[in-house]
Amino acid sequence: MLEVENIDVYHGQIQALWQVSLKIADGELVALVGANGAGKSTIVESISGLLPLAGGSIGFNGVRLDKAPAHKIVEQGVCLIPEERGLFPGLSVLENLELGAFLPESRKVRAETLPFVFDLFPVLESRKDQKAGTMSGGEQQMLAIARALMSKPKLLMCDEPSLGLAPIVVKSIFKVIKQINQAGVSVLLVEQNVKAALSLAKRAYIIENGHVTGEGEAQSLLNDEKVKDAYLGTG
Amino acid sequence: MIALVAQTFVNGINVGALYGLAAVGLSLTFGVMKILNIGHGEFLMVGGYVAFWMLRLAGIDPFIGLPIVAVVLFLFGAVSYKLFFSTLSGFHEEQKIKNSLLIGFGLFLVFPQIARLLWTGDERAITPFYSGGSFPILGIRFGYVPLAGVLVAVIVILALHLFLKKTYFGKSVRGTSENWKAAKLMGINVNRTYMITFGIGTAIAGVAGILVGLTQSLSPGVGMEWTLKALIVVVLAGIGSVGGAFFAGLILGVLEAVGAIFMGPYAVALGLVIFLVILMFRPQGLFGKA
Repeated sequence: MLEVENIDVYHGQIQALWQVSLKIADGELVALVGANGAGKSTIVESISGLLPLAGGSIGFNGVRLDKAPAHKIVEQGVCLIPEERGLFPGLSVLENLELGAFLPESRKVRAETLPFVFDLFPVLESRKDQKAGTMSGGEQQMLAIARALMSKPKLLMCDEPSLGLAPIVVKSIFKVIKQINQAGVSVLLVEQNVKAALSLAKRAYIIENGHVTGEGEAQSLLNDEKVKDAYLGTG
Repeated sequence: MIALVAQTFVNGINVGALYGLAAVGLSLTFGVMKILNIGHGEFLMVGGYVAFWMLRLAGIDPFIGLPIVAVVLFLFGAVSYKLFFSTLSGFHEEQKIKNSLLIGFGLFLVFPQIARLLWTGDERAITPFYSGGSFPILGIRFGYVPLAGVLVAVIVILALHLFLKKTYFGKSVRGTSENWKAAKLMGINVNRTYMITFGIGTAIAGVAGILVGLTQSLSPGVGMEWTLKALIVVVLAGIGSVGGAFFAGLILGVLEAVGAIFMGPYAVALGLVIFLVILMFRPQGLFGKA
């Protein structure tokens, strides 16, 4: 479904990604794990078209994404929930959700998707007229996920959904991500919380200093001595 | 004395509505795309001259021709944005605003010269047959044209407000102004949104220009004067509130008019004093968020 091949990406003069390749099959839940600053966010931002490629290519269901502007990539069904959620804080919860369904295709079916996301997150319905910026961190993350679902994505990319949230909230957010995946949406999950991400995902890529340094089944990575040593703190 | 103050108050409202209208477009482009268009008043000047031409050459009444001027100025603004400002959208915030100042000054240098070629340097006014007419209520005189001007301003502001609050595209404009990166991720074509928003801003400036031509006078150099008024109003109101900018325009208009009773020609300085006081004590403006 998604094929990222040997991409090089720069932040200004500084190279951030070297020859990064990864694949996601239809319906998969894949995690990108690694330390802070390793380049995980750069990868998903490149896929979304927020950052230009210096080399390599990105394909999605046979369509080249790397030359398309960001708004065209959303049309293909690739949706990113950016780090720190990217909400519109001064707009109401409902307006945020409406903008999630901005594209004509998703706008047509919003009479169905809106009750669906309200069903998934009942708290959003009770707060639909509240300004998004005034809600708690957990509620804002729920809104970010709900807004992304309004676009009816085929591939959902979540950048650090656990950032700054209480463990119990993280748990419920992860549960929802699992549910979304089980409903048929492919998910690319970016996480610093390696253990949680590996328990949730089927496969994972390990990113270090802008390189892919490991990949495999999440379960076997969890038991890998090197991974344990570097990320799980149980070595 | 009371009658004089009341009459002055009404005159102040008439002028203030124009200040508000001139400011709303500037506030919109500043709020949404974080560029400060010093050339905003030049679009107002062009709008006024277009209406002047329509009346003089084709006999089209300025109020009937108002939508035509709005459309012409919208297209003119959108093209100007594409040509001059669109390259700024990739810059960082601070660089963006600095460069937009330079571009705006460029427009201020070029547009009046072109206007001088097209319309000469003479002062012009748009004078349909009914201009100058008025009627009294309780001893206060209401001019037909100024009153219609206030009405037009209120309608335009209300329409803009409803457009931003109620329509899907309007919501996407507000979303883009809050977080353009996230807007891109929603599938919003941010560059197109910027172009259209700029066009709406210049269209409103054009409408203000008609009213300036009807109630005051037009000359090629009139643009900067109105840019400054609009800037004072935007600072007074704070960024991001359409109704606030209009209301602040009314405040400035009334203060200047009433001030003129006591201060004579020095009342014009009142605006600049307000500008300084607001920046010192309430930099977010009267209606802006802290």
